[in-house]
Amino acid sequence: MWVGIFCEITEFALLFAVFFVARAHNPEAFHAGPERLSLVAGTGYTLMLLTSGWCVARALHAMRAGQRRACLRWMLAGFVFGLGYPAIKLFELQRNFALGLDGNAGVFIVSYYYLTFTHLVHVFWGLLGMLWVIARTGFGAYTQDEHSGLEAFACYWHVTDMIWLMIFPMFYILG
Amino acid sequence: MDTRRKLDLAWLMLVLLSMGGAGIGSGDRSGLTVAVIVALVMALKLRLVSTYFLELDEAHPRIRAAVLSFCYGMPILVILTTAFGDTLARLTGALI
Repeated sequence: MWVGIFCEITEFALLFAVFFVARAHNPEAFHAGPERLSLVAGTGYTLMLLTSGWCVARALHAMRAGQRRACLRWMLAGFVFGLGYPAIKLFELQRNFALGLDGNAGVFIVSYYYLTFTHLVHVFWGLLGMLWVIARTGFGAYTQDEHSGLEAFACYWHVTDMIWLMIFPMFYILG
Repeated sequence: MDTRRKLDLAWLMLVLLSMGGAGIGSGDRSGLTVAVIVALVMALKLRLVSTYFLELDEAHPRIRAAVLSFCYGMPILVILTTAFGDTLARLTGALI
């Protein structure tokens, strides 16, 4: 599991390096960039992912306490909040395209799409993984003593969350 | 403190820090001071998630060290690239 997570971290570390180099070469474009994006959408992503991560952490705690039904409820809540991320993405993309913020809108927007779409792919994998873990929890595959699959998924989801916590201020606040 | 209470408080802190970060974004964003504040908020949020949600303190020391270096390395890079953007542009000029 940690090998996969380190692959994810390495991938984003490279993308962040590209961001920093592009920002150093285009300071004006990156300074003006955040004003072109929706801060409400950026904050919405953050709150959805943080709340989803909190639900998954509570689900893991419930499973460790032997409360399988509570674990299932927390996982379902985590999935609903996790779905908030692609839902907000749809809203934001419609807004961006209406404002002409497409792939030809400059280096800041291209960097933004490159990093956030890569992150979106990881969120999709996470949501699929969450469905799998929810199903296995529902069918009683995890127990108080053996729930390594649930723990592995939780690790992946929290790291995906942490990467967003880096992306959010770099694009929506600092530029 | 009860683990559930710790998780709830960590989540509440993360929400408040995120709202505070959004507040910075709606104001003046220029300057090194803002970059330092943004980096500190970022580091604090990453620390909260890694400690309470990811339970990094219970991971293998090498894994912990690697993840923490990423968590603290990024905010430091935010500050350094803001302070020395010209130098970075000059050093990487051949790449562009």
